[in-house]
Amino acid sequence: MTNAANTQPRPRFVPGQPDMWAFVLFEALVFTAYFVVYVVRRTQSPELFLESQAHLDLRVGVFHTLVLLASSWSVARCVQAARERSFRTALTNAFLTLLLGFVFLVSKVLEWAAKIEEGFGFTSDEFFSFYYFLTAIHFLHLLIGFGVLAICVHQLWSPARRSQETIETCATYWHTIDFLWVLIFALLYVMR
Amino acid sequence: MSALLRRIAWHWRYDEKRELWIGWWTLVVFYNLYGLLFFVVARTQPPPKPSLEPSEIVQWFDDRHYGLLFGYAIVFIVGGATAIMNATLAYTMRRMSVSRAFAYSYLVIYALATLPGMLIMGVACTVGAMRPDRDPELMSWLYDFAFLSFEGTMGVFLIGSLVWMVAVLLDRNRVFPKWFGYLNLCNALTEVVVAPAWIFKRGAFAWDGAIAWWINMAVFVTYTAVFLTLLRRMILREDFGSGPLPDLPR
Amino acid sequence: MRRADGEVILLWTLPAVGVIWLSAFLLFPGFVQPMSPTLSAEEVAAFYRDPENLPRIRYSMIVFNWFAVGLIPVLALIVMQIRRMAHRTPIFSYAIIACAAGGPTIFLMADLFWLLAAFRPMRDPQQTLMFNDLAWVTFSSQVGFLIAQSVILALAIYLDRQERPVFRPWVAHSNLVVAALLAPAAFVGLALEGPLAWDGLLSFWVRNLAVGLWIVVMGFVLGRAIYRQRSAEELAA
Repeated sequence: MTNAANTQPRPRFVPGQPDMWAFVLFEALVFTAYFVVYVVRRTQSPELFLESQAHLDLRVGVFHTLVLLASSWSVARCVQAARERSFRTALTNAFLTLLLGFVFLVSKVLEWAAKIEEGFGFTSDEFFSFYYFLTAIHFLHLLIGFGVLAICVHQLWSPARRSQETIETCATYWHTIDFLWVLIFALLYVMR
Repeated sequence: MSALLRRIAWHWRYDEKRELWIGWWTLVVFYNLYGLLFFVVARTQPPPKPSLEPSEIVQWFDDRHYGLLFGYAIVFIVGGATAIMNATLAYTMRRMSVSRAFAYSYLVIYALATLPGMLIMGVACTVGAMRPDRDPELMSWLYDFAFLSFEGTMGVFLIGSLVWMVAVLLDRNRVFPKWFGYLNLCNALTEVVVAPAWIFKRGAFAWDGAIAWWINMAVFVTYTAVFLTLLRRMILREDFGSGPLPDLPR
Repeated sequence: MRRADGEVILLWTLPAVGVIWLSAFLLFPGFVQPMSPTLSAEEVAAFYRDPENLPRIRYSMIVFNWFAVGLIPVLALIVMQIRRMAHRTPIFSYAIIACAAGGPTIFLMADLFWLLAAFRPMRDPQQTLMFNDLAWVTFSSQVGFLIAQSVILALAIYLDRQERPVFRPWVAHSNLVVAALLAPAAFVGLALEGPLAWDGLLSFWVRNLAVGLWIVVMGFVLGRAIYRQRSAEELAA
């Protein structure tokens, strides 16, 4: 994501690299396809899905959503601070985002452990296959997000770097993780 | 026709970039041929259900007897073309500002990828088709061997795509646009998404499922079409230097 | 100063590997008189259970396992020669590296299947038959990388436009002939009898002789190129 040789000022239509937006769009498309498959399978066996869904704790889902929304807020603050060149604040917010992401990570793993304890594994039934699949693929994006945030921190750390474009690109990716989670939350936890 | 031959002869004799064009055309022809052989001749794609009974599997082989044997024979003959293809893609990484280690890693990873990517399936299907009177339980094993090795071997394409991704994202020679780096990530992720195919025998996550096959295939086809297009542009822009590649003249 | 130490050693591994392969080839009872695909499961099982055959099967296949990758150093030497050719890109040398990675690996698979078939000969004959089929089909039909390395080498030679090309055109022509001779073996699954069957004229005799021919021709041509290079460098020094 380093475009250090980017000396010409580019017309800025979007914050961060337009390339990242292309990626976000493509991923959103792929996830939409997954959601469509989920909804179709759900309409084919509504009782099974409804019954299995009842084993998910809505409050845990809400907690996850709030944590990620807060992390989106903190990464946005980071971008704002970087724009105003207050890099100490920006770094603090970046670390805060990492922390919130980590809270989500731990909480998710605990949720999975609890469900497995109760006897609901990947192969238990169709609903739970989708549950684990969607949350796991999201989790993978979250892990990648940690890498992305690490790049952001790396950029902010030294005055030699601090490419605003890179920081905004990282933030764009992080917002996408949040956005995808909200959709997953709505489908798996809320839609009954 | 003769005009076409004369053009080809001209390029063969004078075009500085002929090696690159040989590579590009090999890629284009091979992928089309591959699609034709797998989807139309052998009819192993889209894949059949993992949940078939051994007797149904025997029937499946029987329905495709000549398609499998001929189709995969052609695959066996032309399969080595992948060497030129992978060499060409490795070259794109050599043209980048990154270490040559990326080119070499990609080259070797994808050279190995031909085994699960087509050859093992070809052998399994050939052995299955050549003796229609084989024990149905063993036919069932060959069926699994074919489809799981083909769809379920993920590591080569996963790591290979990530290698290319990192190379593109770090590159300062503008060989490929950054969004192509991210698209490599999407391709790599399809290799994670297909993992449940080793577990499920029916549903969206089985080797023929809506998610493990159909959506994955859509991503892969998009990815392939994209890199073929980008590669063509790269060859047109190529100046055989070591600095940033110039843009195409508008 | 080109680092050429060891190239001659690697070169001479070729006849050594050739001799070892030929010995293993003759040792395996299924090659000297090639096993017929038409044998029934019981007959195949009997072949593996026969105490005359079993040790020879195992030892020959163990030797093949040890030396399956024996050609790779020679392919690497060919890569070094391709690098001397007047090309604009390293694509041809990369492509031979790819062939070197793919070819021996799949030959190893055939070897594994034979060893598996021989490991528990008292198995259900249908299983032994399947392993035997897998071994033979893999061995015979996997000519793709061999064809590719010949075609790519030929292409590289044709495009080597300099005063004194590294290899002369006849080397390219003979590589194409080898490639053509290898191709029919890919159709080995189509017939259980006749020239295309794995014990037949085309899929067995022509295929294996073509491989032998390639080894001899390339060995000779490569040797000449390497020794010439060394004496030219000694003169210059």
